[in-house]
Amino acid sequence: MPQFQMRSTVERLDKPSSYAMSKYKKRRRPSGDDANRAPSPDLEEKLRDASTLYVGNLSFYTTEEQIHALFSKAGELKRLVMGLDRFSKTPCGFCFVEYYTHEDALDCLKYIGGTKLDERIIRCDLDEGFSEGRQYGRGKSGGQVRDEYREEFDPGRGGFGKKFREDEQAYGNEYGPGQ
Amino acid sequence: MADVDTRRDYGGGGGFRQNGGGGRAYGGNKRKRGREDDDTEQGRPDRRPRHSEAPPGTRLRRALLEIGDDPLRLPQEVAQNAAKLATENYEDEYVRDTFCTVALKLAVEQPFKIPMIAGVIQYANTDNSEVAKDIISKAASQLQEYLDRGQWRELKLVLRLIACLSPLYEEDGVLPVLDELFNRAVDLQTASQEDAVGLELVKIILLTIPYLLAANGDAALQQAASELLARTDIIASAQNPLEPLVDPYPDANAPDEKPMACASVISLLQRQLQDEESNGWPLKCIPRVYDSSFKQANTNGDAPEETNSDEEAKVTPKHPFPTITVPSTVNPGPKALFPEIYFSLYADQEIESVPPTSSISACLLRDAILDTINILDFNRNATARFLNDIDCYWAPDTFVKRSTAFDKLRDMPAGKSTWKPEDVAIDAIFSQIFQLPTPEHRLVYYHSLITESCKISPGAIAPSLGRAIRFLFRGVDSMDMELAFRFMDWFGHHLSNFEFRWKWAEWIPELDLSALSPKKAFIIGTLEKEIQLSFAKRVRDTLPADYHPLIPPSKENEIPEFKYNDDTTPYAKEGREVLQMLRKKAAEDDIQTVLNAVQQQALAHGTPDPLVPSTDIYLTSILSIGSKSLSHVLSTIDRCKERLLAVGAQSEPARRQIITSVVNFWSDHLGTAVNIIDKLLNYTIVTPMSVIQWMLQDRMDRGRALASLLAYELVSITMFKVTNRVRQVLRERNNMALPYEQRQQIDEALPRERQGMRDLFAAIEDAVAGVAAGAQDEMVERYEDGDQEAEMVKMWGQKWLRVWRRKAAVEEAVVGELVIGPLEEPVVLPEVVAEVEAEDDMDQVA
Repeated sequence: MPQFQMRSTVERLDKPSSYAMSKYKKRRRPSGDDANRAPSPDLEEKLRDASTLYVGNLSFYTTEEQIHALFSKAGELKRLVMGLDRFSKTPCGFCFVEYYTHEDALDCLKYIGGTKLDERIIRCDLDEGFSEGRQYGRGKSGGQVRDEYREEFDPGRGGFGKKFREDEQAYGNEYGPGQ
Repeated sequence: MADVDTRRDYGGGGGFRQNGGGGRAYGGNKRKRGREDDDTEQGRPDRRPRHSEAPPGTRLRRALLEIGDDPLRLPQEVAQNAAKLATENYEDEYVRDTFCTVALKLAVEQPFKIPMIAGVIQYANTDNSEVAKDIISKAASQLQEYLDRGQWRELKLVLRLIACLSPLYEEDGVLPVLDELFNRAVDLQTASQEDAVGLELVKIILLTIPYLLAANGDAALQQAASELLARTDIIASAQNPLEPLVDPYPDANAPDEKPMACASVISLLQRQLQDEESNGWPLKCIPRVYDSSFKQANTNGDAPEETNSDEEAKVTPKHPFPTITVPSTVNPGPKALFPEIYFSLYADQEIESVPPTSSISACLLRDAILDTINILDFNRNATARFLNDIDCYWAPDTFVKRSTAFDKLRDMPAGKSTWKPEDVAIDAIFSQIFQLPTPEHRLVYYHSLITESCKISPGAIAPSLGRAIRFLFRGVDSMDMELAFRFMDWFGHHLSNFEFRWKWAEWIPELDLSALSPKKAFIIGTLEKEIQLSFAKRVRDTLPADYHPLIPPSKENEIPEFKYNDDTTPYAKEGREVLQMLRKKAAEDDIQTVLNAVQQQALAHGTPDPLVPSTDIYLTSILSIGSKSLSHVLSTIDRCKERLLAVGAQSEPARRQIITSVVNFWSDHLGTAVNIIDKLLNYTIVTPMSVIQWMLQDRMDRGRALASLLAYELVSITMFKVTNRVRQVLRERNNMALPYEQRQQIDEALPRERQGMRDLFAAIEDAVAGVAAGAQDEMVERYEDGDQEAEMVKMWGQKWLRVWRRKAAVEEAVVGELVIGPLEEPVVLPEVVAEVEAEDDMDQVA
């Protein structure tokens, strides 16, 4: 019988989020019968030495300098990659922050994830590491997918979602460009 | 929610909704948890129906984890229920495992609950003595491990649990252990005046005694404790020579001018315990969870009722005290220790909103809160919740009702507690931000802990914070300079989380002070910090108009002007040319031609170092191209680094010009300037010494610069980089996984690294000592404001001197020859070393 094990009496914040876990599981689980497959490496195992974080829910207007000012409170930054709109190459509300050590990345998760930057609650997740191409939004219109269909107005993230914006623009164009 | 491995074939126990650590769902992520349930329960045909009772091991785990969390249930009742779950199912191996594991884990992770866990064990002991027997033996072996490894906090907490079980021993053995620990403390103190390990041992002794005596009222025990207390006095009451180094208010002219008493923790403990002793050890705040006469009023229907006579007939089974061996030479442990000062923003003031420093409750509460905070840094939400619920874990009536307004404390009837739980918790968090030389975790942890506390209970916490901020601001003149900068950093960060709301109007009178006054410097620095996290216009909009001159419109300009666009700037034409060439990525030779021309002209004008103006042009152009963002400037620097490295190597004035160019270009955004210089240090384009000398000689402004955030930050990032590197080299030297030869090489390099660090500390000392002594050349006459300004500059010199002397002393305590000892030779088989890994590690050091 396996012995009862307990790592800590309260949950830890320096683990991959449930969002990352669920995404990972989905990706790892092929549609067919996977009963015979060798168990895929644990996400936690994979991120054991990760020193990069994905940072989400940023305002489009938040600058690298602001991100630097906050995130360097958890350790010196090695690299900061802004997430950009695929087409316009302007910030689209996320970034990758890379520290020199895994410990600093964990400190960031514990102490900075879920606090405010530029008056928005930001989201941090451990990341496997930045690779070229990942800095671009994967949404249809170039930004992040989550901003495509958003119905609430978010002034920090380009107002309404894409569909709403299109409607608005079509409406405005009837009157021609203003003065 | 506890982090447990629930993989156990127990009919679906894994799918149980864990709701530990308060019995509430944090963050309300119910949906997600639901999904996890589905995952774990998938493919289990034999799974339990959703509403049936969980297996006893699971229920026991939950009962233990939640113990004390619910203010509506009596701790006696909760403890008795948990005890019953344990005793009734103790034949189940899983239950036995769970009980010991959870109980001991709680002791070292949630110290508030130690008296309650001890209560459970005592209740269980009357029904099944095995429970107590097992846990005593496991606790003792853990204690021994902690003791052997010098893990002092864990040792203290397990010892506390063992002490709380005092009535269960055939003969109490806690005091003999404390006696032994005291003997080691005496040895350590005799060996070195500056010893802090001995102080830690005495602190552990003094913090164990109250829990022991609260659990066991035996007169002989009290007598023995008193005797021990008489012996600890000599160490506890003496001032350690390192104490002035960690004094948060060293700049007060006289001790009674300090905003707080700043006594050492152990000296307070000693006096408080002597006071308790003379009052017959009331130890009022410690909860007494075990009560042999306690009967559950509302016994559950499913539990067979026992008759009273049965209960009374039971005799408490006793156990032998476990063997604990205090080694003859104690392991000092992994961390360098320093004396501890009791820091309190609220204590000993007109209205008693926290325990006075004369009360043992002050130290008992503080100690348990600090351990909770520092142990649970991995979940600040849970920690903030514990702090919010602090009144659940101490004796009833220790605190006033939560959220009682400060003004209402005056109206409390005599004899009733006026201690505000919010004040007690916030006070403890601040004591960490203001801990010297450094707190256990990064400062930002304590920042975010305050933020979470505010989120849980904004109405109750905000007024406490307001009083804290005002208190700190009032005392900022005599506050240690490093702490004043920590205060600034916290305040700016905190406000950025709360829409920058602060009653700035109340500090308008301070705006008339000289920029050299610490209060004004604090205001200026805080606004700078706010802007760094936000932007100038946003911050200005939160301020009364009187503050607006501090944020000039130029600060709103995110991209600074390129000074060579102005034809009145010398070498304007060449400046523009170089900018264009760099933009177009022109050939290096072409750029060199223009720079040569500049140098020719400079020579003709009699400029002492012609490399200086050409470097200014080159660097200002780089900065202008990179002004869009930090990544832009970094990639441009990277592209141009060869020339920059060559320039610095060629001429020291040109190297310092690099720093001047950065600071001048970003003069409205000095935070960005500091960041860029930080990166230039990484590239070794500028050297630590050049930064120090640039700031503390070239830009000293006869000492006035010492009041600026720029000076403190530039010197701090530089020295952090250097000291961190020396520490890293030392770690590699002591890394037994590396081949011995390689470690020998590192060992040979260490003195050079250390000397470099010492030279830098010496350079700082040289530069500021003169200012501190008021001996800056003809300083006094040159000040417009005469004496007053000269006095203030002198004060800044003294502040700097104190901070950097401390930092130098701390580094010596970590990497000095005396403390690191000789290079340890490999013990066994040097061939069995992973060489590839070793080489990788070396790359980082070299």
